[in-house]
Amino acid sequence: MRHLSRFFILLGVSLWGAAWAHAGDVKVIANSSVGASSVSTDELKGVFLATKTSLSDGSHVEPVLLKAGAIHEAFLKEYIGKTDAAFETYYRSLVFTGKASMPKALPSDAEVVAYVAKTKGAIGYVSAASPTAGVKTLDVK
Amino acid sequence: MHSKMRTTVLAGLLYAAPVVMHAQFDFKVDGLPVQIHSFASQGFGYSNDNNYLTMKTSQGSFAMTDGGVNASVRVTDRFRVGAQVYDRDFGNLGKWHPQLDWAVGDYRFKDWFGVRGGVVKTVFGLENDTQDMDFLHTFALLPQSVYPTDLRDATIRHKGGDIYGTIPIKRLGSFAYTAFGGLRQDSQYGGYPYLLSATGGHLTSYGGPQFGADLRWTTPLKGLLVGASHMGESITGKGTWTLAFPGEAPITMAYEEHSNRDWTNQFYGEYTVGKLRLASEYRRYWRDQVIFNGTWEVTTDVRGWYASAEYPITKRLALGSYYSRWMVSWVDSMMGLTEAPSQSSPDRHLYDKVVTAKVDLTKFWNVKVEAHFMDGYGSPGMYPDGFYTQDNPQGLKPKTNMLLIRTGWNF
Repeated sequence: MRHLSRFFILLGVSLWGAAWAHAGDVKVIANSSVGASSVSTDELKGVFLATKTSLSDGSHVEPVLLKAGAIHEAFLKEYIGKTDAAFETYYRSLVFTGKASMPKALPSDAEVVAYVAKTKGAIGYVSAASPTAGVKTLDVK
Repeated sequence: MHSKMRTTVLAGLLYAAPVVMHAQFDFKVDGLPVQIHSFASQGFGYSNDNNYLTMKTSQGSFAMTDGGVNASVRVTDRFRVGAQVYDRDFGNLGKWHPQLDWAVGDYRFKDWFGVRGGVVKTVFGLENDTQDMDFLHTFALLPQSVYPTDLRDATIRHKGGDIYGTIPIKRLGSFAYTAFGGLRQDSQYGGYPYLLSATGGHLTSYGGPQFGADLRWTTPLKGLLVGASHMGESITGKGTWTLAFPGEAPITMAYEEHSNRDWTNQFYGEYTVGKLRLASEYRRYWRDQVIFNGTWEVTTDVRGWYASAEYPITKRLALGSYYSRWMVSWVDSMMGLTEAPSQSSPDRHLYDKVVTAKVDLTKFWNVKVEAHFMDGYGSPGMYPDGFYTQDNPQGLKPKTNMLLIRTGWNF
């Protein structure tokens, strides 16, 4: 009975822990057309806030998002400094005043990887554990 | 009756909309992705005694409906085009006369330099270009000291162009600039024409050249943004004025007014720490105009500021509060009259204490319940400030409490 209790406690902690992700759990990926192999945090923030359309090496980039989830929230918290709600509000303020289009948002890591692989200039983020065949991983400095 | 039926039908459609639509609408034209977005809101206001913002709020009013729809397409990596139509019915404002809210071509040469032209939303302060977008704000009504909804036409957009860009400076954060120039053209269904209509004025055109700039600094201190905006303009109004004298037939004459010197300065700051957002803005509007066909000069000095706080206490519930102060003074050449900026009289100021609760029913649908505790009624008859003499024939009481409930959707 004691072992069963411990099992359920461990299971609960594991599930609870899985709901939270951290920056180390996030991997930034880009289409092979992007020349850079690394990106600064300021550049990454600028790209995903639509204030930058290219990286320091001149590569034009286009952000793609995860729609929701722990990886999405970890990315926003660590690199953008906004909650999901604040980020949505920010983009909607641009879209509804004619200053930007809503970036592509996809529901899963696999779809993000597939989109980044086929779209010139695309830059996105997925779980560090996700397979990323066909795209390059960027170091965030 | 016709207006009430339209409001009812639109309100019904708006309530049904969330069932039908749940996301933005995308399609392709010649392989180019076109995005369609829309928004709408419906409000209810109830106040004691005084009627506010041209609505019969003392009886409870649903005459607070607005909405818009836009389409945009990214033609190339650097070039985008799009347009948005906006319509509203706020009491006697708007009256369902749709406007081209914006229609732009936008080319981004570099991150630090882009151009946009057409009908462009004006970047000015924190919320000027988004003041109509109820879904973007925690508050049902933005502080009227800085963002008067009855005077939205004065600053909301210009027919012309902008240059803009973002310039990062190592260790100093980044600066975002916008310089704009163009023509302002007010609707005939805004607050200023409505003000004049109380005494026989009927403006058929009101507008003119407008230019300015905005500079905002995202500071190295995480979450802190500060900025300043300036606008100058030369405005001309034309129409007619009907003078009525007891026992005599009214006389209608041509009417003209123009600016000697109009300008607006705005200073602002926003600080976000965690989920808490603090904001404050100060606006000063100086208006030196010659009215009644060159016979009368009125110089008006309008100053307003607010401080606000917003915090989402759960994923779906956010609370907010702001304190807003608005003061006006003027010099009137015809009367030799100078109104000293004494703020104690209710016809020299409008102070507003506000508390709000916003509930996100879904990602695209929210409801707000907001209480306003207003002291003063500004300067009805001299300057548009939300309280109009024709809406309050019984006279104005010095204090107004108002409950505002507003629901909004966006897609």
